[in-house]
This record gives sequence, structure tokens and C-alpha cells, in this order.
Amino acid sequence: MRVAFIGKGGAGKSTVASTFARLLARRGRDVVAVDSDPMPGLCFGLSLPVVERPIPDEAVVEKSEADEGPRYRLRPGLDATTALRDYSLIGADGVRLLAFGKTRGEWGDIAKGQHAWSQILSELPTDGFDLVGDLPGGTRQPMTGWGKYADTMMIVVEPTAKSINTARRLATLQHSRWDYHEIVAVVNRGSESDDAQMVAERTGLSVIGVLPIDAEVAIADRLGLAALDTAPNCDFVAAVDTLVSTCLTRFDQPSAASRRSS
Amino acid sequence: MTTTTESFVFEDARVKAPDTSIKIAVVGKGGSGKTTTSGILARALGRKGFTVVALDCDTNPNLGVSLGVGDGETERLAAIRQVLDDEGVGHAPTWNELIERFGSDAPDGVRLAVVSRIDNPEPG
Repeated sequence: MRVAFIGKGGAGKSTVASTFARLLARRGRDVVAVDSDPMPGLCFGLSLPVVERPIPDEAVVEKSEADEGPRYRLRPGLDATTALRDYSLIGADGVRLLAFGKTRGEWGDIAKGQHAWSQILSELPTDGFDLVGDLPGGTRQPMTGWGKYADTMMIVVEPTAKSINTARRLATLQHSRWDYHEIVAVVNRGSESDDAQMVAERTGLSVIGVLPIDAEVAIADRLGLAALDTAPNCDFVAAVDTLVSTCLTRFDQPSAASRRSS
Repeated sequence: MTTTTESFVFEDARVKAPDTSIKIAVVGKGGSGKTTTSGILARALGRKGFTVVALDCDTNPNLGVSLGVGDGETERLAAIRQVLDDEGVGHAPTWNELIERFGSDAPDGVRLAVVSRIDNPEPG
């Protein structure tokens, strides 16, 4: 399956995505966690350090003036699967992290890694790996196609007006040219019995999971650790595991990308 | 409501520059409370008698919710940048014109405006 988590800043995308990816990997699948956030987030949940340049400059070559297409391409002979194996980091539960790097200095430095990252995702065979993406908060990246490697967009929504506004805006992705198979909502930090109903009514989205507010997650966040390690039996982890089951039933079928190409 | 931050900003501004405006930008990680803090700060300054413009610079704008103008008005507020781009305005409007034309009145005399919003996917 190829899913990507989007939503308002602070809604819990990285926490949910890393927990989801690890629980999926524990079921024996090859999982790639895909990070396009220029601020570090996803690595914490995978017990990995912040790496500034995971894809080195020598992975790409610059196109000549005469050629069409993007400015940088993976160097000749380097296919997407090999590049993924070479430039992803292996985190907790064997989840691979594919990131293009973190901006602490000049934004320009990161362009080569970004092109390689995009090309790997667009050319990776649709069988073999599950992709679990984590996009930055807000609408900018989702609305400009940064999650197009996914078949399913999962909008993480807190039961608050601001988070619901953001989800409603993101729901317009169903009219985008990227042809997502499904766009659904996951409620995070739920506390009231009618949270799912409220989010569904006010966003028009189908709610496929409710993750409860959980003090264990706050404790893990404070420490920069994963609740899956500090409190593996907590309610939040159990709810994400249920979400994994739901997604395997609902989304684990030939991907939209492969249907399009066949 | 009087917060420590608000008292500090107010006193500092009065001492250092009694006749000029203060400009505050609130930044931080997603979900850390930037919009909530901005909304309270703007209204607190309004209550002190300052003329306040609250400028939502987030491309996913929600400051209207925190200022108390409600969901509907927050969604209705047009973004300055999009409207100017669509109109292809020849001359640069002044700051006052922009706030007058695109702003919306929020409680405590605060004038709210949105700079730029991204709430539709890029066209194909």
C-alpha cells in the first residue's frame, strides 16, 4: 500500500506515520517511510538521528542544456530500487527512511537530493515496498503534488475548528490531477464519543480511524522517543494497530499507479 | 486578559518608541500555539487602545478562528495576493488601501487580513 499522512501542523502526522510504518513492518512487510518535511520529525519515531544530507550529490547528474525534463537526474546506471537501498536509513523494526535532507543552512544545497528523492518515488516498482509518507503541516506541499507517490491520502484531524478547516481544504485534493485512489480522515487526540461524527460531518470525509488522546504519547514526545518503545501497550499504539488492519483490508490491492500503467 | 508577554511588549513599545508602530511576527513549530498566541496578543493590544492589524501570513490561514470571527468568515476572507494577481493591478496599492479593502473587522478593534492562501490543488 502507498499512503501519505497530511494535515494541520501539530496534528500528529509524524507520530502517527512512524507508529503506523513500524506496526506495518512488524507484520512482515517491507516498509519505506517517506519524509518530505524540511524540519526533522519522522526520524524520532523510527529511532534514527537527524541526517542533513542522506542522498549525496554524486547520486545525480545535471542535465545538459539541450535535454528536456528536470534539472537533475539519478546518475546513469542507478535505478530507483538500488538508489532506495543505498540512500535510505534503516530504522526501528526495519523501516527504511527515505528523506532528502534537512535545511539548517542554504536551501539551495538540498536541490540535488530533492530531485533524486522525487525520481526514486516516481520510478520505484509498485510491488515490493509499502510507502508511508509524512508531509509537512498545512496545504502547500499537498496542493503542489508532493504526495503524488501515494494512492491514499490520510488526513490527520484533531477535533478542533482549525484542524477541521485545514482538513476541509485538503479534501479538495480529490479533485486534483494526481488521481488519488482515496482521501480519508483519521481523528487524532480524540476524547469525545462524537469526535468522528463531527469530523465526518464538517469535512465531508470518511473517518477510518480514531486515535485517542493519550498521556503516554505526551510523555514520549517530551523525551523525543516513540510511544511504541516507551509504552508499547498504550491506547494510542493499539488504535494505530487497528488502523493498520483497516488499511490492509481496505487499501492493500493493486495500486492506482499500477492500474493506470496497465 | 493580561499576560506577561503582552505587558512586556506594551511597556517596551511605549518607552522606546511612543509614536511609532510595533511589528511582531510569531513563529514556531506546527501546533505549538502560534495562531492562538497571535490572536490573544492582537486583541489584548486592541483593548489597550492600539490600532492593530492582524496579518495572517500562513498559506493555511486560521487566525480568524483564534480572533473570534468564526469559521465561516475565516473561510470567506479573500487573500490579498490572489486577488491582486487575478486583477493584474498595474500600480502598487498602499498598505492602507490593502487593509481597508481586504481586511475584516475582528473583536476589540483588530483588523484582520490574509496575505496568501493555498486551498486548492495546483491545476492540471
